[in-house]
Amino acid sequence: MMISGGGGKSSWSSSTSSWVPTTSVSASGKRIQREMVELNNDSPPDCSAGPKGDNLYHWIATIIGTPGTPYQGGIFFLDIKFPSDYPFKPPQVVFKTRIYHCNVDSEGLVSMGILKDDWSPALTITKVLLAVRSIFTNPDHYNAVVPGIAHLYSGDRAKHDDIAAEWTVRFAK
Amino acid sequence: MENNAFRDRVFADNEHEEIPDSFVCCVCLDLLYKPIVLSCGHICCFWCVYYSMNCLRESQCPVCRHQYYHFPTVCQLLHFLLLKIYTVAYKRRESQILVEEKKSGFYSPQFDPDTCESQAKFGHSGIPSSSSAMKLTSNSCNVETSECMEQLGSTTHEGDEGTIHSDRKPNIIATPQEEISLQQKLSVADVTCTMCKQLLFHPVVLNCGHVCCQTCVINIDDDMLRCQVCQSPHPRGFPKVCLELDHFLEEKFPEEYRQRRDAIEIQQIKVKLETPSSCSLDNGNKGENRDWWLDPDSKVHIGVGCDFCGMFPIIGDRYKCTDCKEKMGFDLCGDCYATRSKLPGRFNQQHTSEHKFKLVQSDLVHNFMLATGDTSIDLVSVGNLEITSDGAALFDGGEDNDHSDSEATN
Repeated sequence: MMISGGGGKSSWSSSTSSWVPTTSVSASGKRIQREMVELNNDSPPDCSAGPKGDNLYHWIATIIGTPGTPYQGGIFFLDIKFPSDYPFKPPQVVFKTRIYHCNVDSEGLVSMGILKDDWSPALTITKVLLAVRSIFTNPDHYNAVVPGIAHLYSGDRAKHDDIAAEWTVRFAK
Repeated sequence: MENNAFRDRVFADNEHEEIPDSFVCCVCLDLLYKPIVLSCGHICCFWCVYYSMNCLRESQCPVCRHQYYHFPTVCQLLHFLLLKIYTVAYKRRESQILVEEKKSGFYSPQFDPDTCESQAKFGHSGIPSSSSAMKLTSNSCNVETSECMEQLGSTTHEGDEGTIHSDRKPNIIATPQEEISLQQKLSVADVTCTMCKQLLFHPVVLNCGHVCCQTCVINIDDDMLRCQVCQSPHPRGFPKVCLELDHFLEEKFPEEYRQRRDAIEIQQIKVKLETPSSCSLDNGNKGENRDWWLDPDSKVHIGVGCDFCGMFPIIGDRYKCTDCKEKMGFDLCGDCYATRSKLPGRFNQQHTSEHKFKLVQSDLVHNFMLATGDTSIDLVSVGNLEITSDGAALFDGGEDNDHSDSEATN
């Protein structure tokens, strides 16, 4: 797997043999590389992301719990898996850190419209991370995957926040 | 979009050419290649639009989610414009895409490089876009290469391409100074309206890829909007102004642009009153398409598109060319078959008017599933299955009958 950089690209016109391997990085790989550079240059607040190892299609990301929410101060790790036909199919985003949230199921899978049917190829990981970060502040309890948490959120917000804060202290610090 | 600075830097590092954000495709995040302008005015690359389209129902613009049903044709004006301004980067894109196309066996439409010059030279003399469209038909070079592909494998093809590239070498290794001189060659002749032959003002791009001023289209009094150059219909209401191109024109030709604006201004106000809101959600004449998946009797050809009007998927009668040998196949919808269009395929198929068609029935299994309810869930899972099992091949213009073939070649 080729990792992005000027090396390959600068030699593209010199001879056929040298640029073929470079360009054989698939369209999805190129797009992911571009997103990586973009993130390195200008990552969204409280977020970071990058490939886990050599595999460009498997990233790890962190989001710091937004101040003013029960997730405040927690560091949440996420696994991002890109499908081979990315960006035409959404990435899969999974919380590796346990979190008490009505839009995150017990496996950690994040349930959001933009990660399913509402995905658009114009969305990037930067935007996805911002969206995930926004559900810290505003859980979407109308489209919850954990109905119990959503019920508590709409019924007894204080208790919900207490449990969420407790989980944050227990698992995310 | 954000991060102008970053993108500019990336491109600047690699090519000494700065690509403004407006010409970066929102899907591949690279310089637009063979740009397609959707009826909402947003621009994406040919392949980016193609792969973004939904093979089951209406597609949505990646940027604004504006629904559309027809795969538009590449905007040749923008294609040659970008080639002229960002020659190095554009050539790089060309070679990259070509490698991918060779791998997949599907080819994007080829435009004769000569038309680029002819357009610059004779831009004022008439209808450059239509003449280049004709070149598409008789593109002998591509007939040869694609035949070579089939007979002798990709090596010959590469060889062919190699010679073409070496012919273009002076352009490829142009120094920054030469680039600047190229840029200066950009003239109003490159960006004229196909109708009024003046500098484009508030350009709209029709489904056929032809560009004209918003005011020039409005003056047509016809129910179905038709391109005045190629007579092909523009489905679903009125296209929106391509703002990226408009801003570019305003910036590059401030003087001419201002003159055009002043001349049009009074007319423009009248026009705006006549057509309130460019009716983006207007169904036009194809209103019945919207609900095809609820109607068990509708004949849907999942994953098959019409090579003339671009309808995707085809609803109703589907005619498949029995003589086109390309992997992509060549299909027409009922309407386009009836009008006997002579245009070549959208994927560089070498279709001619002598070719024979056969009527293809839509997949009974799918229709049965549609009839038994549970439509959306079943269809989506079926779609996903097909897509994952066969990658790009399933998206193409006509593979229903050749599944095993395409899978074998993949």
